[in-house]
Amino acid sequence: MSCEEGVNIARVGKKAPDFETNAFVEGGFQKIRLSDYFGKWIVICFYPGDFTFV
Amino acid sequence: MASVAARYQELKDLDVEVFSCSVDSQFTHKIWQEQELSKMVSGGVPFPMLSDTGGRVGKLYGVHDEENGVNIRGRFIIDPDGIIQAMEVLTPPVGRNFEELVRQVKAFQHVRKTGEPTPAGWQPGKKTLQPGPDLVGRVWEVWKIGE
Repeated sequence: MSCEEGVNIARVGKKAPDFETNAFVEGGFQKIRLSDYFGKWIVICFYPGDFTFV
Repeated sequence: MASVAARYQELKDLDVEVFSCSVDSQFTHKIWQEQELSKMVSGGVPFPMLSDTGGRVGKLYGVHDEENGVNIRGRFIIDPDGIIQAMEVLTPPVGRNFEELVRQVKAFQHVRKTGEPTPAGWQPGKKTLQPGPDLVGRVWEVWKIGE
């Protein structure tokens, strides 16, 4: 993965890289595609792992 | 995540969609929610918990730690045009500051609405600045640090 290959890496002022992924939502499982939420403000929080706390 | 979940309503009031994301599967998220998070926060985590097994999303956002196979603590604010307006990436031992997240969201929403840039440490209700030739070299006259 490099910029030369056109891979979109997150940077401020640039479009957020889109993705689709599995998610646990309100007791169930579903696919979430980030771009489905464009039009709203979005906050994404990455963290190292479940069952850890900082 | 529990600390963000506990104050989720403040972000919801600002019309913010929140997602958490780790390399755990959605099944692990379910067990964490049921066994632990729901006991720390009433109702548990109310926002979607994304599963990034393999770290594909973390790599796109520059927060994937290949050596340990996890996504490090990174927080991104994305505006309604899908543009990343802010990012904060921390090494594991230090946690996030929820107040600062909310302050930044409010400031970016203010800028988007009014076009007025917000100076250092700005909070809603505080002074903003009107950029232009007249302001160059004269910020000291119209704005004091901490104002």
